[in-house]
Amino acid sequence: MFTQVYHIFSLSMRLEWRKKQSFIALFLYTLTTTYLSFLVFNGDVSKETWNAVFWIVMLFAAVQAAFRSFENEASRRFLLYYGLVKPQVLVLGKTLYNFIYLLSIGLFTTLIFTFLLGNEIHNLGAFMLLLFIASAGFSAILTFTAALAAKAGDNPALPAILSIPLLYPQVLTLSRTSIRALTGFSWEFNAPYLLVLLMMAGISIALSYLLFAYLWRD
Amino acid sequence: MKQHWWKVLGVVLVFYTIIWGFLGEVPARFILNESIRATYFHVTMWFSMIILMTASLVFSIQYLSKGNRLADLKAKETASTGVLFSIIGLVTGSLWARFTWGAFWVNDAKLNGTAITLLIYAAYFVLRGSVDDPQKKGRLAGVYNIFAYVMMLVFIGILPRMTDSLHPGNGGNPAFGQYDMDSQMRMVFYPAVIGFALIGVWITTLRIRMQKLIWKKEN
Repeated sequence: MFTQVYHIFSLSMRLEWRKKQSFIALFLYTLTTTYLSFLVFNGDVSKETWNAVFWIVMLFAAVQAAFRSFENEASRRFLLYYGLVKPQVLVLGKTLYNFIYLLSIGLFTTLIFTFLLGNEIHNLGAFMLLLFIASAGFSAILTFTAALAAKAGDNPALPAILSIPLLYPQVLTLSRTSIRALTGFSWEFNAPYLLVLLMMAGISIALSYLLFAYLWRD
Repeated sequence: MKQHWWKVLGVVLVFYTIIWGFLGEVPARFILNESIRATYFHVTMWFSMIILMTASLVFSIQYLSKGNRLADLKAKETASTGVLFSIIGLVTGSLWARFTWGAFWVNDAKLNGTAITLLIYAAYFVLRGSVDDPQKKGRLAGVYNIFAYVMMLVFIGILPRMTDSLHPGNGGNPAFGQYDMDSQMRMVFYPAVIGFALIGVWITTLRIRMQKLIWKKEN
């Protein structure tokens, strides 16, 4: 099963890599939005603003990125997958792929933010850990809602409408915790928040694993 | 008449709530004073909403496992009554907040939770609206409903406990805790929950019956 998951993952990776413009478009997206916030804030950014803007940019970039994960999959390729693998394998592979994708977007966004809006990160390790957990939780929910939106037909607003309310709990907890990674992070104090974040990511992955079979079958 | 007893019970309990909610004795609490009576009409909405949303979840699971159309209809209608209750809950809470906190809307974990619950269920109805095929609609909506319910539980159940809330009972605020609702208030509060929940079920069954008639006409 794990080899199959890996195959789906590497297949998605290669398919995306073949069309590099989608990666580039997304990096450009974060670059432009970050530059926009640089211009709007006129270079005067407090830690709180840095944190808030970072998670908003990250959220929208993530929605953009993951939304595409089933868009390219024409219905014929779905049929192909249907014959080859179990739906659970497919969703795990796609989630893994989105996880790597979102993580790289997150790292890139961090880089751009540090470059344009100043290095506000106090505890880099904690921030990276948060980015890691965020990518896991986001990718689980976004892969699932992307599949839902793809199945529901071409309503362009649907992916955002479906996923953003589901992501609120995570984004809220993330921004509350990561502001402390910017100011001064105490592991003991933040442990429950990290646990809640991990739990939310775990629940999301478990739900998409369980429910994807129902969603997928036509 | 036999199967209608619960409707009568619902009406009686709601009238009981209205009469005793306004006339009954309430403990005088600092800041809250008489506004503590809002508990009967505001907090009960959330209780009824959770009951209805849970019913919707159960019907969604039923639809996914059995695939009959009626279960999907029930899931949809219980969710929409739940949304109605949550809107009433928001309005009553907002009015109450204006007089106790001084603003209609504040940044509070519980308020955010309900706003997000509303957004999630709005998304549920948008999703339903964008699919034509009834079977596919039921399946996608059912799947989203389960996902949404769990996220809603996380949001209104776990997160408010991790942050301070302005709400009575959280973070050193008075009221709605073990101490603040005295036994006399409880005598009104719990029947009120049952009464409003029953009224919610009644509204739902009416809407289901109407849809069934539409189906009948179509065939």
